[in-house]
Amino acid sequence: MRNFIFSFLALILLPAYMSGQVIKGKVVDQTGLGVPGAFVVSGNASTDTDFDGGFSINAKEGDILKISLVGFESVSVAAKLTLMTITMKESEDTALKEVVVIGYGTRKKVDNTTAISSIKAEEITRTKVMNASQAIQGKAAGVQVISSDAPGSMPSVVIRGLGTALGGKNPLYIVDGMPTENTNNINTNDITSYEILKDASALAIYGTRAANGVIIITTKKGKGDKISVEIESFAGIREPLKKVKMAGSNKYSHYSNVALQSTKFSQDQPVNTDWFDEITRTGTYTQNNASISGSTENIKYFFSLGNYSEKGILLGLDYDRVTFRNNNEFKLSKKLTINQNFSLSSTKSVPKPLSAFTNAYKQSPIVPVYFPNGQYGVSWVGADGFASTSGSSFNNVGNPVAQLNYFDEKQKSVLLQGGLKLDYEIIKSLKFTSQFNGEYYNWKNYNYEDTKAIWESSNNPGQLSTIIYPADKNINFLTKGREEYFNWNLSNYLTYNKVFADIHDVEVTAGIETSVKGSREKLTIGRRNVNPNANYWSLKDVNYAGDDITNYRDETFNELRLASYFGRFQYKLKDRYLLTGTIRRDGSSNFGKDYRWGNFPAFGLGWIITKESFMADIKAINVLKLRGGWGRLGNQNVPLNNQSYASGLSSYLGGSILNEGTTINSQIDPSLSWEVTEETSIGLDFELLDSRLKGTFDVYDKNTNNVILYTKPITTSGITYESAGHVGEVSNKGYEISLRWDDKINDDLSYWVGGNYSNNKNELTGTKKVFLSIQDGGNLGNGQNTKILDDTSVGQPLGSFYMYEYAGIDAANGKMLYYNAAGAKVTQDALNLNTDRIYVGSIMPTSTYGVTLGVNYKNFDLSVDGYGTAGAKVYNGKKAQRFSGENIEDSLATDFWTVNNTSATNPGPFNQVPVASTYYLESGDFFRINNITLGYKLPIKEDGWVSSCRLYVNAINPFITQKFSGFSPELVGDGEPTKTQGVELDAYPTLRSFVIGANLKF
Amino acid sequence: MKKIYIAAFVFSTFFFAGCADDYLDVDQTESISTKDTELFNNDAGATTFVTAIYNKFLNWDMTSFGWIGLSSITSDDADKGSSPGDTGTDKDVLDALTYDASNPSAESTFTANYAGINRCNQALNIIPQLDKADPVLRTRLIGEAKFLRAFMYFTLVKCYGGVPIIDHLPNPSSEADRIMLSTRKSSAEVYAYIENDLNDAIAALPLKSQYSSSEKARASKGAAYALLAKVNLYQKNWQKVIDNCNLVTGYSIVPDYASMFQLAGENGPESIFEINGVGAVPIKGIEGYSNTQGARGAGGWGWGFNTPSESLVNAYEAGDKRKNATIIFAGTTLYDGRFVPLTVENPRYNYKAYSSTFTDAWETDTNIKYLRYAEVLLMKAEALNELGQTYEAIPLLNQIRNRAGLANTVFSSQSDIRMAIWRERRVEMAFEHDRFFDLVRTGQAKAAFAADISPSFPNGKTFTEGKNELFPIPATFIRQAGGLSQQNPGYN
Repeated sequence: MRNFIFSFLALILLPAYMSGQVIKGKVVDQTGLGVPGAFVVSGNASTDTDFDGGFSINAKEGDILKISLVGFESVSVAAKLTLMTITMKESEDTALKEVVVIGYGTRKKVDNTTAISSIKAEEITRTKVMNASQAIQGKAAGVQVISSDAPGSMPSVVIRGLGTALGGKNPLYIVDGMPTENTNNINTNDITSYEILKDASALAIYGTRAANGVIIITTKKGKGDKISVEIESFAGIREPLKKVKMAGSNKYSHYSNVALQSTKFSQDQPVNTDWFDEITRTGTYTQNNASISGSTENIKYFFSLGNYSEKGILLGLDYDRVTFRNNNEFKLSKKLTINQNFSLSSTKSVPKPLSAFTNAYKQSPIVPVYFPNGQYGVSWVGADGFASTSGSSFNNVGNPVAQLNYFDEKQKSVLLQGGLKLDYEIIKSLKFTSQFNGEYYNWKNYNYEDTKAIWESSNNPGQLSTIIYPADKNINFLTKGREEYFNWNLSNYLTYNKVFADIHDVEVTAGIETSVKGSREKLTIGRRNVNPNANYWSLKDVNYAGDDITNYRDETFNELRLASYFGRFQYKLKDRYLLTGTIRRDGSSNFGKDYRWGNFPAFGLGWIITKESFMADIKAINVLKLRGGWGRLGNQNVPLNNQSYASGLSSYLGGSILNEGTTINSQIDPSLSWEVTEETSIGLDFELLDSRLKGTFDVYDKNTNNVILYTKPITTSGITYESAGHVGEVSNKGYEISLRWDDKINDDLSYWVGGNYSNNKNELTGTKKVFLSIQDGGNLGNGQNTKILDDTSVGQPLGSFYMYEYAGIDAANGKMLYYNAAGAKVTQDALNLNTDRIYVGSIMPTSTYGVTLGVNYKNFDLSVDGYGTAGAKVYNGKKAQRFSGENIEDSLATDFWTVNNTSATNPGPFNQVPVASTYYLESGDFFRINNITLGYKLPIKEDGWVSSCRLYVNAINPFITQKFSGFSPELVGDGEPTKTQGVELDAYPTLRSFVIGANLKF
Repeated sequence: MKKIYIAAFVFSTFFFAGCADDYLDVDQTESISTKDTELFNNDAGATTFVTAIYNKFLNWDMTSFGWIGLSSITSDDADKGSSPGDTGTDKDVLDALTYDASNPSAESTFTANYAGINRCNQALNIIPQLDKADPVLRTRLIGEAKFLRAFMYFTLVKCYGGVPIIDHLPNPSSEADRIMLSTRKSSAEVYAYIENDLNDAIAALPLKSQYSSSEKARASKGAAYALLAKVNLYQKNWQKVIDNCNLVTGYSIVPDYASMFQLAGENGPESIFEINGVGAVPIKGIEGYSNTQGARGAGGWGWGFNTPSESLVNAYEAGDKRKNATIIFAGTTLYDGRFVPLTVENPRYNYKAYSSTFTDAWETDTNIKYLRYAEVLLMKAEALNELGQTYEAIPLLNQIRNRAGLANTVFSSQSDIRMAIWRERRVEMAFEHDRFFDLVRTGQAKAAFAADISPSFPNGKTFTEGKNELFPIPATFIRQAGGLSQQNPGYN
């Protein structure tokens, strides 16, 4: 297409002028291919190269020929009489050359009509975290990343709001053409581009899997003409960003005595255990990578080996990952290219239960880690009011250190991904691409529970001979698990690209694809009373069948197949009017025969206003593009028709023979299929003031009209089980702005400042004529639920909290009061579960924003990234779960209601499970500096043995301002917005990390 | 070369299109698919779907506490019983006829019968697909399912009047099915539907005598005719009552009335259709049926609900053997030698719910006799009398009286015989879940309740005509129906 534009421009603007001799030659690029449309000037003569790069021009021998073409660096050479061959070097990234990956192809950014956020490799590697998705937090408008710093956890990414309630919420990841769900196996150093497809017109080419957005990750390829070796290493330390100050022993004892109205606890305690300190350590992590890459005439190669190793802040929690990647490109002939990629990732981890954080929060400080006799401390109080190896139990919390030490589990996994891609140029404008990718995953673990020792540590700390472990109980228990799957994907497509009549630039892509998500096979075996020596758990020739095998689960999950056809038509008229049309037809094995095929059309329009003649004189505006589109997308990860036989409904029919009975107590909706989202969006891209200020503005309106929710069958159906049906409607409306100013003051000093802001309004807008089955969510494990999804949720955002409204304390007795439906203040016993609870906000923020700034001065570089959210609520679950005899926060210990302090802000001590209420609900708003990096590039010569060496220090999450009184307002929970996401319970704290590292190139 | 590529691509596209649909047929591996009927494609498999329907009749919500409340405690035969402070959730208001639209017993009975109807519809949906099962057996099973469905619709129409007719498995997203589930049909339509099912059942079912001794409780041709006769009776189709009663053959009146309500007498020659419980392990009895009605307090074994009323005691003529076979009097010794002391809380209990072997167990060997040959004779007698053939009705009535140790009836006029038959029905079938509906059917309700005098109700009870003939439709259903169904009169 570029060919056309410039030959066209050359023809219009430059009349041929002939004089002197005719100099002939050919302009080629670095790979030796002819460069058409290059502009060749000699004195007054000028011409442009033909489609093979050939040119002839009137000039004298020795005249300077100046050859230029946008996208290449200009070349000046002396004219020769012999046939000249002039090589042009591709220039560094320019706005015109920049391409974006659009799914089954690429597009020049300027010609793209859709909303795509491209994140460059250096943005991803700048923040030293394990998963690329965590690193992009705050860097792309409209993309909300909620991450946990727990080693090996996968961040939750929400693009332009939640469109589903019960279905899968994760975007589709396409890694080098392979659709996948987990990207923890990717070494961030191997990534060359990370593109987020945001609007329907970009996403529709991925059909049924696109409704949550698509993230296309492309890994590196070899380039350059010599071998390049790169080594990157860093090491860092990690600590909790924020701690919660707990009451010490004496304050705890005072509070508990008031609660019990006794003097059970001495208020002069000899022990003051800080449980959080006892279960945590300074975390450390290191990463080492080495890569070799390069290219020859016909082969491009890239090898990378990496190791990531972390010792978590939680005692004993370790995570280790080794990655290897090899990407090669073979140019077999002028027309045939084969790309091959392979990656291996192997992880070993020692997990520890995150409930230790909750237990450390709750366990009393008067309990020692160890009693003087060497046994683990337990929450028993003696007659002296001190923790004791005998006496009465005062809470049900275990010893968190014992919990961690006794927890013995190891996990190992291997993920292999690989693919082959063949590109064949059938004729000049027609290219055939065939791509196969596969992934194989294997996981295994063991968990060993020393049941007897655990029992004795908590039941017999005094080691009394009178307390005997019950003979009928297990001595120990071993669980072993195995899991594996193989997924593959094959796509074949044709791409046709041609310019007609000089002004009609057409590109058509059409293809077919099949995708198989293989059966996930899972084996779990539980055995009791095994040999305590781990070496003897799997002896040769021993048959373990018998009573000691208490669990044996052998599961094969359903295979999922997808068959698809897709086509895309891209048209550009006069270099400024853009039209894209996309259609995908998908068939999924998830759904019933008559409902498994769906069509997902989309279109996009664009107008590059700055290419219009009336804009030619406005120098301040370099690029101004208006684009918009509409599209339909699907989400196939939805609750399925799971209907099963109900048996055991037996009956005697008059004699002594018990007849077996079976029926079905559920309904099937045969039309159950994917959820369909329709989106309309408009965007504006601009570059102003010599392209120093770049910006994008987007608005969108997204509706999912057939959201699947669980419905309650009508009584007369005689069926009691809820069934999934297409009954909900969810709307997401929002806008996104991003701006960035880049300037180069002189050769030594350049800087940038950027920011983005996104606002999204999410709402469950309606349900059809059905009754929803009530889905309680956000369970705290003490009988209290904090969320609900039912008929009353219409008009609320998804992930809304639903609870009683706290009304302050009763000054007369210190009890917590709540508003009932009538507006009266009552105690919790007088509340009505069905009528008195209200919606009090969602865990999903309405706004997210990111800022970035950086300065390069001589060999120094400094960058700062920040991220914030507004409008979300979080629930202080661990505090709400706190029960009698458990520790309290220091702020409460000094300010609670007593008869002498009736104006306290906190209620008097209570021994009742508190109802879920806004007393524990807090604002989730925060702003955090995610990353500060300072680097220094050693002044060494580029042609030396070491061509480049950069040293850097990096502070991750150095500062935060938050309203939440807990550890972290960023709470992934179980990753389900309607369940425990946004509830701080058993949560890994957000970490602050300091990293030092070096990057060397040879 | 390029042509080959294009051809290959085009070819592969067609190939792909052709078999893509088969390619997407993936067998499920994580749970047994209900599409996979092969597992049940044999005689035993087909039978299980009908067994599940019988099983429903053993459930607490179907046949026990709520149903006892609705069909028995409401009637003039029974009082709430139990301790004065123990309402049994709503048994006090049922006894007093003051229940409202949110009555739990009315709700659970409605829900349970529809749950049973679902089991019928599931069986009727799947059994025709089970082609490897014996066709004769399949025909019989379909007949049983239709009989049981008719039985439950009869219960529904007696309790609630016209109700929605669910004649197939509904699809949760079909608007037509939503309307079907939500819309009450008229009583006449429900009766027509019941008759249709029963006629199908009659054609498909064998005689009771053709069942093996271990399966005598299955629905038989005789049961279908007897139920059809009762359905005709409720619609006053007298000639049809007579015709269908005449088709109930192979049954006889047993000499000892009391024996029918003891283990040895279960499924005997007089029994046409009963709900069968077994108390021995593996236990499958009617959940809580004996226990909720067992004597309460010191020397008792149960909750003490549904106690025989003074009105019932007074209804027995002197010398009627059925009185002591129906009512346990405190301070007497039972047939098995058990002494019921005077320390129990109530003076009388339901003898027909008593289990000798499993007395206080939650599930016992007690059966409920829903259709007996004695009732067939009384129905026939009533129909004959209504058609003016009083002379032919009297011997049938006397047959029942004589078995109870009573002399022939002294009445002879049509109106006197009508009253005599109705009185006879009461004492013959007391505590067999018939009385309340019989009072409504015969129009005697208002007078009978006014006369139902007891210490708790010294002035009797008020039966509001135009309201109390029917129980309230559950409020939850009315809400779900979204305007397609209205509540019964008087309950809004």
